Amino acid sequence: MTVRLADAGDHIVLKPCIHDYQVNCGNCRLNSICLPLALESDDIEQLDNIIQRSKPLQKSQHLYREGDEFKSVFAVRSGAMKAYKTTDDGREQVTGFYFPGEILGMDGISNNLHASSAKALETAAVCEIPFTSLEKLSAMMPTLQRHFFQLMSREITADQQLITLLSKNSADERVASLMLSISTRNSKRKLSATQFRLPMSRVDIGNYLGLTVETVSRVFSRMQKLEILRVDNKEIKILDVQGLQKMANVGD
Amino acid sequence: MTSILPTIEANTEIPPAHRADMELAAKYACEGPRYTSYPTAPQFREDFPVDQYLAWQRRDGDHKRAPLSLYLHLPFCRDICYYCGCNKIVTRKNGVARQYLDRLQREIQQQSQLVGTQRPVTQLHWGGGTPTYLDNAEITELMHMLASHFRLLDKDYREYSIEIDPRTIDPGTVALLKGVGFNRISLGIQDFDPLVQQAINRIQPYEVVAPLVDNIRSHHFRSLSFDLIYGLPNQDRHTMKETLRKVNALRPDRIACYNYAHLPQRFTSQRAIDRLALPSPEEKLLLQQMISHTLQDAGYLYIGMDHYVLPEDELARALQEGRLQRNFQGYSLHMADDLLGLGVSAISQIGDFYLQNERGLEAYYQLVDSGRMPFTRGCKVNSEDKLRRHIIMSLISELRLDIGDCNRQFGIDFSTRFQRELAALAPLARDGLLEITPEEVAVSHRGRPFLRNICMPFDAYLNAPGDGRSPPRFSATL
Repeated sequence: MTVRLADAGDHIVLKPCIHDYQVNCGNCRLNSICLPLALESDDIEQLDNIIQRSKPLQKSQHLYREGDEFKSVFAVRSGAMKAYKTTDDGREQVTGFYFPGEILGMDGISNNLHASSAKALETAAVCEIPFTSLEKLSAMMPTLQRHFFQLMSREITADQQLITLLSKNSADERVASLMLSISTRNSKRKLSATQFRLPMSRVDIGNYLGLTVETVSRVFSRMQKLEILRVDNKEIKILDVQGLQKMANVGD
Repeated sequence: MTSILPTIEANTEIPPAHRADMELAAKYACEGPRYTSYPTAPQFREDFPVDQYLAWQRRDGDHKRAPLSLYLHLPFCRDICYYCGCNKIVTRKNGVARQYLDRLQREIQQQSQLVGTQRPVTQLHWGGGTPTYLDNAEITELMHMLASHFRLLDKDYREYSIEIDPRTIDPGTVALLKGVGFNRISLGIQDFDPLVQQAINRIQPYEVVAPLVDNIRSHHFRSLSFDLIYGLPNQDRHTMKETLRKVNALRPDRIACYNYAHLPQRFTSQRAIDRLALPSPEEKLLLQQMISHTLQDAGYLYIGMDHYVLPEDELARALQEGRLQRNFQGYSLHMADDLLGLGVSAISQIGDFYLQNERGLEAYYQLVDSGRMPFTRGCKVNSEDKLRRHIIMSLISELRLDIGDCNRQFGIDFSTRFQRELAALAPLARDGLLEITPEEVAVSHRGRPFLRNICMPFDAYLNAPGDGRSPPRFSATL
């Protein structure tokens, strides 16, 4: 999909749209994050053939739901997603946020059913990587499957490490860790590490971190007072990275 | 055996309570099976009725829907631990794990079709060898492989465990293990003493293990288990005291202390162990008593067969509620009747059958490559075996046998049927190891270290006259 910017006489000026679902792995600007695979260019083409790109998801639209059969993993190409589980008493528990270049859906791996649901936090384009096609392709490209499992294991590891970090620390540490995490992930995509817009609400942040909305807001206020961050609704500007790291209680 | 007693009495360091127990231990020391199965593995034969097994599995029925327990054997190790008697292959050659995973995949496809793909897998255990010989991508791949052929669960009550070698694991792998669905971890500690570790070629200082334990705890694994070994070279009461202090500081939920059996003629790697550095038989008895008393003083509950658990651990509750089982992985909660073993040398216990996969790696590969089932030995459990298995497993797992229940279940009169066995147990009862009433056979607290001795009279194969084959070698009971 392309966006028509302006009609300039006979020339139509086109700008690629970030939600474009006709983009391919070879020209995707995220391929270095999403597919850090030492693939030859014809390999990328073959891989590209199995990847399914559908219309962008609208805000609040589901990508998959808890209990769905695990057939594919998904790479976020634009926008942002959240994963959540429904607790026994019917409440939503946010289990993760996913940004462009990141892969989600891997919680399905341990029982072949998605263990959580995923929905779009804002308009989001997603690439679907079906596992059965991947297995077939791997017969021709033996390193491909290994690359994928490597990638998956990295994502699973990072998820768990963040969950652990968030579960044991104070409110200040949790909020600071999440801000640092988003900052690092932004810089991986060559975006500003210090200035970004949060795609999720305060409610989602609180739910994810196991804190009340009031506490999240209080921590943000404290961070502003300490001149660590500037917060303007969803716009975040990190003023003091070291101060944020200190607050998160992480090394270096 | 009583000849060692004067030495013990001469030693003033030994508390009187230990001394009394040691006298008993010395009296009952003998060779006997661990009863992870009955009939025990030496009874498995190549000419078992495999056709009957296959025919039974191909019939539909409740047995194709019942819960299932899975065991995966991953045989590779980077280094050799001299004491080890497991089926293992020490190698650092590139690609061995890949070759093995390819065969496992084929076996998983075949076996899941035969055993049933929709049975809820309540328990899963990866043992070895060294399961963490696999790298992170291979671990993820293997779990995916299992999940696409079996019905793995994400319920909290599942027991998915893996053995970790503290020397070959990085912090990220612990997170990954949690992420792919494991909720229990077992660490091969063996001993913390540097000289002992050197003598067994397994160097893993406390300073390496303690942060690993913290890491495991912070990822909220539901249970952490330590394996310890007594009777290793350079071990004595001083090294053991220090090892136990460190173990207690790390407070694992479960502890299994294995008795090192020095059988260098059977296990070649044990030939690297200096016989003269091994603790003397009386020192070994003392070590066992030290472990038992120290751990119980520290609040651990003694189950039996050298297994200790914290009172709040599920195994402790299961013991009281009679939900404990014993199989090839030791004690666990009884959640599934059938255990399917996958990989080279793995043993399955399914229905009336025990099956063991081919023990040689190359031969296992050939079987799998040719599309045949990988099991090459096994046995069909007959009705006499079932009765005796019930008795032995009740005594080991519940520490008691309900005679009325046994009579009803098997339509027998226990006291006449097992007159000879009861007579053999009478001296043990006189020593206070168990109590025999018309209602039950109950193992006393004092008798827990002697479960093997208590079970052996019920083992028909052990007491059978020789059938011309050489007698199986079991490790000493104590």
